[in-house]
Amino acid sequence: MKRLLIISIFVLTASALWSQSDHSKIKLDCSFCHSCEKPTKINPCLKACPREEMITVYHTPSQGPEYLIINQFEKFEDLYEPVNFSHRAHSEMAEMSGGCELCHHYNPPGSIAKCVDCHDVNRLRADLSKPDLKGAYHRQCIDCHRTWNNNVACADCHELKSSGKTAAKIKPLSASRIHPEIIEPAKIVYETETSEGKFVTFYHNEHTQLFGLECSNCHKNESCASCHKVDDMKSIKLTVEEKHQACINCHKVENNCSYCHSNKTLEPFDHGTRTGFQLKSYHQKLSCVNCHAKPKAFSGLNSKCASCHGSWSVDNFNHKATGLILDEIHAEFDCDVCHSLDNYSKPGCDACHEDMTYPKFKPGRILRN
Amino acid sequence: MELAMKPEQMKKKFFTPWVIALTLIAINGLIFLAIRFFWGIGAVTNLSNEHPWGIWIGIDVAAGVALAAGGFTTAALGHIMHRDKYEAVIRPALLTAMLGYTFVAVSVAVDLGRYYSIWHPLIYWNGNSALFEVGMCVMIYVTVLYIEFLPIVTERFIGRVNLPGVLSRLNGTIDKILRALDRGLNKTMFIFIIAGVVLSCLHQSSLGTLMIIAGPKMHPLWQTPVLPLLFLLSAFSVGFPMVIMESITASKSFGLKPETHILSKLGSMVGPLLGIYLAFKLGDMFIRETFVYLTELTTESVMFSIEILLGVVIPLRMFLSNEVRKSPTGLYIASVLVIFGVLLNRINNFLVAYTPPYETASYFPSIGEISVTLGFVCMEILLYRFFVKHFPIISIPDKAGINKAKYSIKGA
Amino acid sequence: MNKQNRRDFLKSVTTVGITAAGLSAAAPTKLNAAPENVLSEDRMGVLVDTTVCIGCRKCEWACKESHGMHAGDIEDYDEKGIFNSRRRPDHTGHTVVNEYENDKNRSLPIYLKVQCMHCDRPACVSACIVGAFSKKESGAVIWDDSKCIGCRYCMVACPFQIPAFDYHKALEPDIHKCDFCFDRTKNGKLPACVEICPVETLTYGKRSDLIQVARNKIKNYPDRYLDHIFGETEVGGTSWLYLASKEFEKLDFPKLGKNPAPGVSESIQHGIFAYFIPPIALYALLGGIMWISKNRDKSEGEAH
Repeated sequence: MKRLLIISIFVLTASALWSQSDHSKIKLDCSFCHSCEKPTKINPCLKACPREEMITVYHTPSQGPEYLIINQFEKFEDLYEPVNFSHRAHSEMAEMSGGCELCHHYNPPGSIAKCVDCHDVNRLRADLSKPDLKGAYHRQCIDCHRTWNNNVACADCHELKSSGKTAAKIKPLSASRIHPEIIEPAKIVYETETSEGKFVTFYHNEHTQLFGLECSNCHKNESCASCHKVDDMKSIKLTVEEKHQACINCHKVENNCSYCHSNKTLEPFDHGTRTGFQLKSYHQKLSCVNCHAKPKAFSGLNSKCASCHGSWSVDNFNHKATGLILDEIHAEFDCDVCHSLDNYSKPGCDACHEDMTYPKFKPGRILRN
Repeated sequence: MELAMKPEQMKKKFFTPWVIALTLIAINGLIFLAIRFFWGIGAVTNLSNEHPWGIWIGIDVAAGVALAAGGFTTAALGHIMHRDKYEAVIRPALLTAMLGYTFVAVSVAVDLGRYYSIWHPLIYWNGNSALFEVGMCVMIYVTVLYIEFLPIVTERFIGRVNLPGVLSRLNGTIDKILRALDRGLNKTMFIFIIAGVVLSCLHQSSLGTLMIIAGPKMHPLWQTPVLPLLFLLSAFSVGFPMVIMESITASKSFGLKPETHILSKLGSMVGPLLGIYLAFKLGDMFIRETFVYLTELTTESVMFSIEILLGVVIPLRMFLSNEVRKSPTGLYIASVLVIFGVLLNRINNFLVAYTPPYETASYFPSIGEISVTLGFVCMEILLYRFFVKHFPIISIPDKAGINKAKYSIKGA
Repeated sequence: MNKQNRRDFLKSVTTVGITAAGLSAAAPTKLNAAPENVLSEDRMGVLVDTTVCIGCRKCEWACKESHGMHAGDIEDYDEKGIFNSRRRPDHTGHTVVNEYENDKNRSLPIYLKVQCMHCDRPACVSACIVGAFSKKESGAVIWDDSKCIGCRYCMVACPFQIPAFDYHKALEPDIHKCDFCFDRTKNGKLPACVEICPVETLTYGKRSDLIQVARNKIKNYPDRYLDHIFGETEVGGTSWLYLASKEFEKLDFPKLGKNPAPGVSESIQHGIFAYFIPPIALYALLGGIMWISKNRDKSEGEAH
C-alpha cells in the first residue's frame, strides 16, 4: 500500500513538472484550451479538439513516413486485416487542403503525437469525451473518402480476414510528388443568375500575388473533390449566402452590388480608377500591405502625403532616395519650404526664388542610373 | 294482476334453415381457426408489427365484453335493486353473458401467440398492467357466471338425473350432490351476484384503460384519460338494449309474444343511461377541444360522427319517446342502434383510432379474421338455442300461475 | 324463500369483507414485487451520434451474429440499394439502419440506426400482462421468454413501435426486440453493435456521463448538432440517446412529451385499485343496497 502511494505521488509530481514545463512553451491565451477561468489538475476543463493553432511542429510530406501499417487492433478479435496506410500520399494531398493538421489536429510542443496518445485503444473506457482509437482512425479516413464517393466499401482499405487476402503493399512513390503542381487561374468570370450585373469578374492572381493572400485564406476545409469535379459533388448546391460569403469576408460592400456585379467582364484592378489615387513611381512597386498596414482593412487612407509620411523631416529623410541629391544649401531647409505637404511631387521654388521653377532649375544633382 | 312468468324449456326443433346457415358459417370459421393453429396467426390474419391487434381483440373481446353487459346490468336491477318484475329477463341475460364471456375467453386464446400459456397471469402478476386486471377480472367473472348458472342446472336435473347404462348406478349420488349444491348456493348466491357486478364494473372500465397506454398512437378523438369511465358508461347503456334485442329475437324465433311491457320498462332506463354517456363523451370532447378534428374529412372523423349520431344520439331520442318504447319494432330498432353504436365504439377505439407512428399500410381484417369472428358469433347463437331448448331459461306466462321462478335470490 | 335471516346475511358480508381486506393487505406488496424493475443511478446507455454514422450496417450484422439469428455474408451488407426503402426492426433483425436526406450535403446522406430505446419508464414493462418485460439495473429492458403469452399488448403500448412478433410461427412465437446485449454486458463485454461500429457512432457508457458528453458536443459544435438530445427527457428518459443535425421529426422520430408512456394508465390503475379500497367499497355499497331493497320488499309484503 505504502509503495503504491509513493509511486503514485512520484507519478503525479513528475506529470505536474512535465506539464508545467510544457505549458511555458505555449504562447497562447489560457482560454484557448481551457473553457473555465481557473483550470485545475482535477478539472482542466479542456475544450474539445481540434486545436490546430497550438501545433508548432511542421514537416514537409517527404519528412514523414512513406507508409504506416495500422495494426494496433491485432490483440482484439477483428474482422479485417490491418490497413497499409500511404502516409506520404495522404500528406501531400493534405498539403493542398488542410495541411498536416487536417489529421494531426492536436500536438503539444515536442515530438509528433501519435493518435493512440489521446485516443484509447479500448472502446470500454472511462473518458468518453473523445472517440476511441478505432473510431478516430475511421472517422479521419472515411470523412474524406466519403466525399469522393459515398459507396466507399470497407474492403477498399482493408481486406476481410476470412477472404485470405492481405492489403496490397504500397508501391514506393516514383516521383517526388504525386500531385502535379497546381496552376492557379489568372481570371475567373462567374456568370450569375441575376439579370442586372450578370458577370462577376474575379482576378485570382491579384488576390494571391497583389493582395498577398494565402491559399488557405479562402480555401478552407476543402477536399480533393472540390477541385476534381466528382459527379457527387455537383449535387452540392451552394446557397446565395454561401456564394457571397467568400467575398464578403474581406470586401465589406454592404448592399453595393455593382462593386462586384457588372454587365461586362471587368478590367484588372487599377488603383487609380478604383480609388482615384494613381500609383506612380515608388508607390507602384509597393505591396498593398506596405501602406494598408491593417490586415484586410484597405480603406481609411487618404491621398494626402502627410497622412502616411507625416513623420518625415529634414533630419530623418535622405533625399537621395528620390533620385535627387540636394546641394548643401537646400539640404538645410525644412521639407515644407519647397514642398506643399499635400503633394511632394511638385516642389515650388517661389519661397526664395521669384523667377525659378522646377524642373527647369534643380536644387541639386540628379542621380543617373 | 299480470300473469306470473315461469322459465321453461323451449319445445321447438333445433334445426331450421336459419340454423343450418349459421352452422355453415360456424364451420367456415372453424376451418380458418384450424389454419391459425397449424400455421400461426400470420397465416390467417392481416396483423403485422404495425397493427398487433385486429378484430379478434377489437370485436371478439372488447365488443364481446361490452355486449355481454346485459348480464350484470340485469343482475344489478333484478337482484341488487330487487325489482322482481324483471326476473323474466335475468336468465336469458345471464345465459348470453355466460356464453359471451366464454367466447371472449376463447377469442383471447385464439389471438394469443402462446395460447397454451393463457394460465400464466395466474402465477405471474403485474399489478401495473390494465390487461392483467382485465384478464383476472374476466377469469373470475366467467367462474362467477358459471356459478350463477348452476341453479338452473340443479333445477333442471334434481330428481331427473338419468344416466345411461352402467353409469345409472351413480344417479342417486349425483342427485345428492346436486341437492347439496343447491342448498349451498341458496345461502351464498348473493355473494357471487354482488361480486359479478363489482367485477364487471372493474373490467368494463379497465378495458378502456387498455388503450390509454398507447398514448399518441391513438387518435385524439378517442384518446382521453376518462376512457375507462366512457367504457363503463357505454357498457351500462348497452346492457338493457342487448337484453331487449335478444328477447325480441328469441320471441320471434320461438313463436312467442314479445314481453313488451317488461321490455318497454327496461327501455325507459336506457334513455337516462345513454344521456349520461353522451354527456360525458361530448363533455370530454369539448374540454379537450378535440372537436377541431371533426372539421377535417378523415376516416377517423367520419367514424366518430357515425358512432355518436347513429349509435347514441338517434337511439337516445328514440328511447325517450313513449311511442317507440311501446312498440316492439321501435324498441328493436333503437336497441340495435345502441348495440351498433357500442360495437362501433369498440372497433373505433381499438382499430380505427390506432395509428402507429411507422405505418406503411392501414389495417383491414382478412377473410380469415372475419370468418372466425362471424363463426364465433354463430356458434354463440347456436349454443344459446341449444341451452334454451334444454334448460329452463326463457320465461313464458305460467298457466298454473303458482310457482315463481326457482332461480331468484334465495332466502329473501 | 325467506330462509336466510338478517344475522346470517350480515355475517356473510363481514366474512367477505374481511377476506377481501386481508387480500388487499397482502396484494400490493406482491403486485409490486412481481416484475423486478430497477432504475439504477449507474445504468448504462448508448449515445448515437447520427452525424458520424456512415451507414455500413455492420451493427445489423453483429446484432444478428450475437443473437444466433441468420446474419448472412458480411460483404452483402455493403449493398446500398437496401436504403431505397425504410425498414423497421422485426423478427429477422433487432436493429436496422435507415437513410435520410442530408439537406446540407446531398451526397452525404444521414444514416439512422433504429432499435429499442430502452426507456427508463418503459410502456412494455408496465403493460405486459404477465410481467415478462423488466428494466434491468444495467439499463436494459428485456423480455422473458418463459413468461410471455404472446398477447402483443407490449406492441400496442410501445411509443416507438419496437417489439415485433413471429406471426408465422404456430408454436412458441417470440417477441423480438433489442435486449441491449444483456448477456454480453453482464460479462463485461460491449453490446455487439457498439463493439463493431467502425466510427464509434455508438458510444457506450453510463447514461449520466453520456448526457454530459452529448451536451459538450452540442456546445462545442453548435453548427453540427441541433440543441436537443433525443431520449434525455422523452417519455421520462431513455437509455439510448440520439444527437442529430436534422430535426428529429424529419428523421421519423415520434414527437413525444416528457411524461412516461405508462404514467396515465398506471395512475388510473392504481387509483381504481388503491389498496383495493374502491372495489371493496363498491362491494359494500352494493351489499347495502341489496339488503335495504330486500327489507323494503319484505316490509311492503307485510303491509299488504
